[in-house]
Amino acid sequence: MVLIQVIVGGLLLGAVYALFSSGLTLIWGMMNFINFAHGEFVMLGMYVALLVVVWLGGGPAAFGLAAAIALFALGVAVYALLIRHVVRGPMLAQILSSFGLALLLRYTAFWIFSANFVSLPQTSLAGTVAVGGIYLPVAQVVAGLVAVTLTIALHLLLTRSTLGSRLLAVAEDRTAAMLMGIRPDRMQALTWGLSAGAAGIAGALLATAYPWSPSVGETFGLLAFVTVALGGFGSVLGSLYAGLIIGLIEAISAYWLGAIYKDIVVYGLFVALLWLRPQGLMGKA
Amino acid sequence: MLLEARDVSKAFGDFRAVAGADLTVEAGEIVGLIGPNGAGKSTFFNCLAGDTLPTTGRILFDGADLTRAAPEAHARAGIGRTFQVPTTFDDMSVLANVMVGAFLRHPHRNDAREHARRIVELTGLRADQPARSLGTPGRKRLEIARVLASGPRLLLLDESLAGLTPGELQAAIALVRRIHQMGVTIVIVEHIMEVIMTLTRRVLVFNQGRVIASGTPEQVVRDEAVIEAYLGRGARRQRE
Amino acid sequence: MKKLLAQPASGQRVSVWLLAAALVLYPLVFSDAFYRDVGVTFLLAAISASAWNIVGGYAGQVSVGHSMFFGLGAYTPLLFYTLWGWPPLAGIPVGILLSVGLAVVIGLPTFRLSGHYFSMATIAVAELIRIFVGTWALVGGAIGLQGPAMARGWWDLTFRGDLPYYYIFLAVLALVLAVTFALERRRFGYYLRAIKSSERAARSLGVPVRRVKLQALALSAAFTSAAGSLYGVKTGFIDPDSGFGILVSVQMVIFAALGGAGTLFGPLLGALILVPLQTASNTWFGGGGSGLTFVLYGGIIVLIARFEPGGLFDLWRRLAPHLRRRAHAA
Repeated sequence: MVLIQVIVGGLLLGAVYALFSSGLTLIWGMMNFINFAHGEFVMLGMYVALLVVVWLGGGPAAFGLAAAIALFALGVAVYALLIRHVVRGPMLAQILSSFGLALLLRYTAFWIFSANFVSLPQTSLAGTVAVGGIYLPVAQVVAGLVAVTLTIALHLLLTRSTLGSRLLAVAEDRTAAMLMGIRPDRMQALTWGLSAGAAGIAGALLATAYPWSPSVGETFGLLAFVTVALGGFGSVLGSLYAGLIIGLIEAISAYWLGAIYKDIVVYGLFVALLWLRPQGLMGKA
Repeated sequence: MLLEARDVSKAFGDFRAVAGADLTVEAGEIVGLIGPNGAGKSTFFNCLAGDTLPTTGRILFDGADLTRAAPEAHARAGIGRTFQVPTTFDDMSVLANVMVGAFLRHPHRNDAREHARRIVELTGLRADQPARSLGTPGRKRLEIARVLASGPRLLLLDESLAGLTPGELQAAIALVRRIHQMGVTIVIVEHIMEVIMTLTRRVLVFNQGRVIASGTPEQVVRDEAVIEAYLGRGARRQRE
Repeated sequence: MKKLLAQPASGQRVSVWLLAAALVLYPLVFSDAFYRDVGVTFLLAAISASAWNIVGGYAGQVSVGHSMFFGLGAYTPLLFYTLWGWPPLAGIPVGILLSVGLAVVIGLPTFRLSGHYFSMATIAVAELIRIFVGTWALVGGAIGLQGPAMARGWWDLTFRGDLPYYYIFLAVLALVLAVTFALERRRFGYYLRAIKSSERAARSLGVPVRRVKLQALALSAAFTSAAGSLYGVKTGFIDPDSGFGILVSVQMVIFAALGGAGTLFGPLLGALILVPLQTASNTWFGGGGSGLTFVLYGGIIVLIARFEPGGLFDLWRRLAPHLRRRAHAA
């Protein structure tokens, strides 16, 4: 019974991993760019949620939306002010830009919020729910279900909508897209907005269920790398499966080996993937 | 037979960019490769240079099977290539660019530099100029110099003469002739018929990933299939 | 003066000798313990950033997890001392060997793929090792390891005062720079720069790209490991964060990038600017200053990436002709 509880809990958390990882894979698929600051976007989403609850007394819907909007705006701004200028430059500039941004955001957060762990005051998502004999915190269940829904929505947006095909057109061939009347810069800014927005909501969802400190950004950033590496670079659906798998692996290894070893198992998996299947489960060789 | 490519095809998903192309080149030839945009010429070139792994087919160079060999192995074997979009080493000088090529057969710096200097002179470039400051024609010339320094026996030129002024074009044609006289066999992809007419004795016409015609330049320009490939069905009907 | 400006090559040679003389004389002029400590910190930063520069700067393969080599270098001598009482000097080559092995393990799979994979792999592996070491009691767990408190002989590399360390570090820095300089002029150096510019073009000219990148990484890892060993024996203490922490990697990247990644003296210049700055901010703000230092680091890295990816040396190279012209006109 405990094992089932662990498994369900892992899948629910994995769904949130899937959501923010889909943001990372989106940018990779669109512009072959790895955002080292993606975990920091998640972390900022958590603090936005906290501020909205503490200052404005907003409920889950309010702070979830606020985190999404704030991070969407940040994503667009980061693209317009920084990424746009480096993305076709040397590799060093590409990697340093988002890596430096990660440090800037992480340590600014340390400076403002201190290194202490915080958690959201009680929200309407408190309490537990019993499903088929296992007990789960309501917040975890809501976070997991919302995350799965949003990840699938993002996948559908990319594959089924006009906007999605415009985005893909830019990813395939910038010049050709321009000739079709699409403005690549706008589409890429939008991609960054969507990506950071997804990270922001994921952060807000995580904040309902777990305490955190500014250093979680690094952990989530690396988790997103592992998820994307497993799911295949550029595939949102791949991220969904991979996120669930990694949530599961984490939960089970924490249960069997102890909480400290779950990170070792997950990063070990990443190294193994690089050797055995660098294109990921869903990626093409 | 220096180069023999048999039934080469390359598919990207469902799209067959090259669909069963054949090409044989004798040592000492200059062969032209023409065809409309998107006919698969560059992909075919990439297969020959080892840059793209063909889906099917075999590529033999001087009797050795290079089908699955890496691009650097192609270079060592003696197949050199230029790129449709010139990719020079922009942080380096012209001479240093050419030296990178020269190092393949001259591992020591002083030998490589001497060899590179001769090539730079031959191609009419300025040794100490930064590659970054070159325009497109200069870059294309530098690409030729660079690959020439690596000592190829077969040179694959991918639109190296495109976008030149008439004066530059004449100089470039003369340069290709010089290279040919040095004993280098050449396959050249080109849109400009003047280049093909003056340089080549044999032309292959590519369309939709296959060779649809071959012969002397004079023969292929009169070929019905070629005219149709370039101008579409309407043009043929109009002529009729 | 005019002659110096007109002949940049000989000007450069003069500056190098002046720099070398300044570095040799510095601890004799500033004999205060504080200044010597700053000097040693600067040299260590310059060594590790120059080591990073071989693969990150010249070959353009941006590692953001070089702390893995630094940490291996720092841990191995202290571990051998703790376990069997070996002199730290004996552990240094073992640390180097382990680092080179690790470099091959990371480089072999990732160098087949786009450069982003390498960057991601480096940060993930560094983090993996940091966490792993923190949970492994044999290597001291979260507490770390200590070196010899009292020297049993010179081979323990445990000295009173900073002066011996200063000159050992200076010698190692000279070695790293000399090797880099020699390689820069050879085929290997040309190949590295070609790879950084365009791997595809380099391969088309017969450059064995994967092998060259792997060699660059192995060499860089060896020197970084040596830097880590020097840090370990000098401090006499190492823990997971000071050996394998991400900030160790960040410092190497930022020193090299600020001065000029892919230039011989760029990392040294970066360290020359940032180490005193860091020391000053630590003195002014106390412990709280370190957080602020890294906000600043992040900001500087972003600005370099956005405006001057070539670093200060590149900026100088572009500005120098204008300044020279103005000097002539005046």
